[in-house]
Amino acid sequence: MNTLLVAKDVKAYYSSPKGFVRAVDGVTLDINPGDVVGVAGESGCGKSTLSNVLMMNVQPPLKFVGGKLILEGVGDLAVMERQKVKAQVWGKVIALVPQSALNALIPTRKVGAFIKDVLGYHLKLDARKASALAQRRFQELGLPVETLAKYPHQLSGGMRQRVVIAIATLLNPKLLIADEPTSALDVSTQKQVLKMFLHLKTEHIVRAIVFITHDIAILRQIATRIAIMYAGKVMEVGPMEAVIQRPVHPYTCSLIRSVLTPEPEVKERGLSHLAGDPPDLLQPPAGCRFHPRCPQSMAICTQEAPPVVGLGKDHFVSCYLVLEGCQC
Amino acid sequence: MYLNVLRYLARRVVFALAAFLFFIVAIFTLPRLIPGNPVDVLVSRLVMQAQANPELIHAVHRKFMEEFGVGLPLWKQFTRFVAQLLRGDLGTSISMYPRKVSEILALFLPWTVALLIPAILVSWAVGNFLGVLIAWRRGTVLDRVITPILLTINRIPFYWFAMVMLFIFAVYLRFFPIGDTYRWGLSPGLNWNFVVNYLHHYALPFLTLVVISTGGWAIGMRSMTIYELGSDYILFADLLGLPQRRLLAYAFRSACLPQVTELGLNFGLMLGGSLLLELVFNYRGMGSITFQALSTLDYPLIQGIFIVLAAAVIAVNLVVDIVYGLVDPRIKVT
Amino acid sequence: MLRVVNLTKVYTTGFLRRRTVLAVDGINFAVQEGEIISLVGESGSGKTTTAQMILRFLPPTSGKVEFEGKDIWAFKTKKELKSYWRQVHGIFQDPYAAFNPMYKADRILYQVFNLMDSHISISDRRRLVREALEAMKLRPEEVMGRYPHQLSGGQRQRMMIARCYILKPKLIVADEPLSMVDASVRAGILKLFLELRDRYKTAVIFITHDLGLAYYMSQRILVMHRGKVVEEATPEEILSAPQHPYTRRLIEDIPLIVRKWVDI
Repeated sequence: MNTLLVAKDVKAYYSSPKGFVRAVDGVTLDINPGDVVGVAGESGCGKSTLSNVLMMNVQPPLKFVGGKLILEGVGDLAVMERQKVKAQVWGKVIALVPQSALNALIPTRKVGAFIKDVLGYHLKLDARKASALAQRRFQELGLPVETLAKYPHQLSGGMRQRVVIAIATLLNPKLLIADEPTSALDVSTQKQVLKMFLHLKTEHIVRAIVFITHDIAILRQIATRIAIMYAGKVMEVGPMEAVIQRPVHPYTCSLIRSVLTPEPEVKERGLSHLAGDPPDLLQPPAGCRFHPRCPQSMAICTQEAPPVVGLGKDHFVSCYLVLEGCQC
Repeated sequence: MYLNVLRYLARRVVFALAAFLFFIVAIFTLPRLIPGNPVDVLVSRLVMQAQANPELIHAVHRKFMEEFGVGLPLWKQFTRFVAQLLRGDLGTSISMYPRKVSEILALFLPWTVALLIPAILVSWAVGNFLGVLIAWRRGTVLDRVITPILLTINRIPFYWFAMVMLFIFAVYLRFFPIGDTYRWGLSPGLNWNFVVNYLHHYALPFLTLVVISTGGWAIGMRSMTIYELGSDYILFADLLGLPQRRLLAYAFRSACLPQVTELGLNFGLMLGGSLLLELVFNYRGMGSITFQALSTLDYPLIQGIFIVLAAAVIAVNLVVDIVYGLVDPRIKVT
Repeated sequence: MLRVVNLTKVYTTGFLRRRTVLAVDGINFAVQEGEIISLVGESGSGKTTTAQMILRFLPPTSGKVEFEGKDIWAFKTKKELKSYWRQVHGIFQDPYAAFNPMYKADRILYQVFNLMDSHISISDRRRLVREALEAMKLRPEEVMGRYPHQLSGGQRQRMMIARCYILKPKLIVADEPLSMVDASVRAGILKLFLELRDRYKTAVIFITHDLGLAYYMSQRILVMHRGKVVEEATPEEILSAPQHPYTRRLIEDIPLIVRKWVDI
């Protein structure tokens, strides 16, 4: 099967009075059908910016600086005009569940009316057909059909979140990008929402999902692949089991060992933490961006950015330690 | 659902009645706070104007004693006052004795309503449309030219702008008559001659009122729309591929809601402005009658005018609240 | 040391049609010297209201909080209150809210001297602040003279804990101390609480939705649900044999890092 979306050396910077903030700085990522790609990182690592860049929702002050975004059957989004990308791709081929999904529904419009707007515009359906389709989809996803007759403020947070996901996937987009879709929810609601994401994939409503989060434990449950971002770059990317159980990059190791879950193993091995704070993306450090906080930093790390090294199938790391055959 | 709407409406109506009652109590109390016999004081002031003949003053004094009910207990005076009010009896004018205040108001009020209400509605509609337009095209030449102009207009005092308009269009260009409501000698009626003449006189005060109010509405709408266009739900709708026009319609609906409330809040302000405007244009409405009442200390007339104006402001706000409740689903369904 | 007896808080809302919400419903527990316990619950469970009543920010509707045998709402004089707040100190979810953005960040450290009654010279104050920052692994030059918005969430939370180093309270009530802090610096912050406990026998009550934090840090866990403590046990007991259905569901729904859900 063809790769759905190939991001190649993608760079997108925010222009600010002080210079460029290099939020996404040379990200390469393949998204294949069937994948749930988890993008994890801490606040300010550029993961949220990446979610918008992947669908070319790039507006000032954010600027697309370089790289390619090859979407299967469409071509390189990076060279297309915004209006053209919007007309050909958004909603239909790639859909986004935005970070603030709780406020993503129009306050003055009933859920069903908004769905009619979307279906009426894209599929030229009349109100009756749109309503029938909406009902079918809501039933399929286990959402109460009465929700269609309600205004957003009448729904609970978890329900609003699920409605937004249902609307985002109405047109069966090939790729669904979700930006921190569960961070404001209770754990029980979170689990329901996560199940809904997987359901979308198993029912072939969407073909692949990019799931952006700061919570690696969630990715352990739903991702097939994980990309770890730090300071605008992907430090390590690979199959979920490999990245979580046999991480190679020192940052990945420390991030995974800082996950605080109620498990005896976590308590036994203890938590690890890093000194200092993430770098200022206006002036990122030379060489490897992680070197100022890296416990295993070497001389070369301060001078030259490490190459991307392949480790077995689909597992890539950007670190000199790999070349020396070490693991953390 | 309907129960909610009813509860909301009932609350609004009770609130409006309470506000009006408060005002009535104030208007009743104020002259009675004057030390001594208020009628003596009021009539002696009238004498100082030295224009009324003794017989008239005597008649006024008698009528006044009766109307004020001097000597009766205060609560009895108040119930009488309210009872008269309920019958629509606002007392008798002094300066235009023996005409009833209600008759005088009935003569002048329609002209003000005819000027004010269309001006408010037109400026609200034009201003909001303009606001959405420049919000949509923000940052372009259109925005950069129109917005400062609107901001400037918004800050100009009513009467000053009225005089400038009068000078340019009536005195200098002679497009419109210098003042008055219609040509002297014409009698109001629904005939071609009168209507054309009236509209000719009407145009300048109307346009002045519209232009000066449009600025505020447009500025408010521009910032509201820009705020809404940056909201999360517009972003989501945008990323669903919905067209610009649709996004603008969503933003417009949400941005309109505060503008509806603003309409009520602004009504009092526009009313005050238009009263001054009437004086500048010598337009025969509530403004000119208020001026006359104040300068002759025609107390019953002043009281009548203020009761009518207060009732109007409260009623408009009530209507606005009701409309808001009907258009905002967050109130309609809770 | 601290005892919570039948603590209840009822909120009344509405002007004409009164509605009452039972936020905290007759809870009981006690904290010993040097003990770390956690109050775990989701939003609306009443855990934050409980914290505020312990810190004497909110009066209870009924029941009482006793500190060293005395009812904290019986304190009347300013001196008694000051002494209570010196000994029982709060740390909050969003440390940014505790700072006044108009003042430099280190002011928050100098303010604690107002709670201490004995006179301390300016040079001693400087020395104490410096020591506290060093204990927090904060380089003084990184935070002194800076404004709150120039600091990271982790730095701000460390500053708040630095106050405890100067005050040496007997009990810290920490309400979601990690929720604004990035994962990679969390463990460092948690270590600070353990150091305080080891050095000064400081007791800590964690108020959190995070069962992982509670499991990792505390000797006892109290699970709160709809204003009630539905379960109280050691972390190991809670995890291996949860008694209450709510606790069981909570444990089932938390995403783990070592184990994978089977039902998804």
